[in-house]
Amino acid sequence: MNQKLAKKNRPKNLNLLTIRLPINALVSILHRATGCALFLILPVILLLLQLSLSSPSNLDSVIAFLHSPFIKLVLMGLAWAFFHHFFAGIRHLAMDVHWMTSLMKARYTSKVVMVLGLFATLVVSIALWV
Amino acid sequence: MLIELLTKRYPGMRAWLSQRLTGLAMAIYSVLAVWRFFWLAPSDYQSWLAFFQPGWWRLATLLFWFALSLHAWLGIRDVFKDYVPNDTLRAVLLKGLVLLLWLYLAWASYLLLA
Repeated sequence: MNQKLAKKNRPKNLNLLTIRLPINALVSILHRATGCALFLILPVILLLLQLSLSSPSNLDSVIAFLHSPFIKLVLMGLAWAFFHHFFAGIRHLAMDVHWMTSLMKARYTSKVVMVLGLFATLVVSIALWV
Repeated sequence: MLIELLTKRYPGMRAWLSQRLTGLAMAIYSVLAVWRFFWLAPSDYQSWLAFFQPGWWRLATLLFWFALSLHAWLGIRDVFKDYVPNDTLRAVLLKGLVLLLWLYLAWASYLLLA
């Protein structure tokens, strides 16, 4: 078998559902996904900021818009995206200066990042709905 | 030392370090922004304007947006590098990304300085 054919016959696994994702990998891919989500929302943030600062009645419209039930759900999702990206980013910075880099410690901090992100989102959600 | 690592002589280190420094700057600003929001507790239009009135806060917010632009450039660029194997398409996407981030920065500057 020549080299080219050997390269062609390498096994590929593109079925995402069969890939086992350890907690560290999960935190990592979510850091990327939430980063993308936060990037996509930038123009909406600028638009809402511009409207809210432009006149009292526009500020009222922005507030009314943010209080609609569906948008509240979106805000919960975005709050989680922000918090997860925030805490996972701090974990990155810690590991960059060689804190918590062994596998067991890294697994532990991954869990801490997940819990902190979800907890902060819970706090925001309560403030949003109650 | 830190400044030298941010020059073009060390392109890989420059990208890596910029991503971390901008992330750190944004994290500090975020905590400050939440604290300030609860401290001033803007409840109507006048107090919302007052929230963005001080020059130092406008400058901090603009610096935040500048850090955000760099951070997003490095992050989304990595995403394109990983998932867009077609060279031509990736080049177009990267140009579009740069244009978009400059537009957002101009928009943010207009909001904060005008």
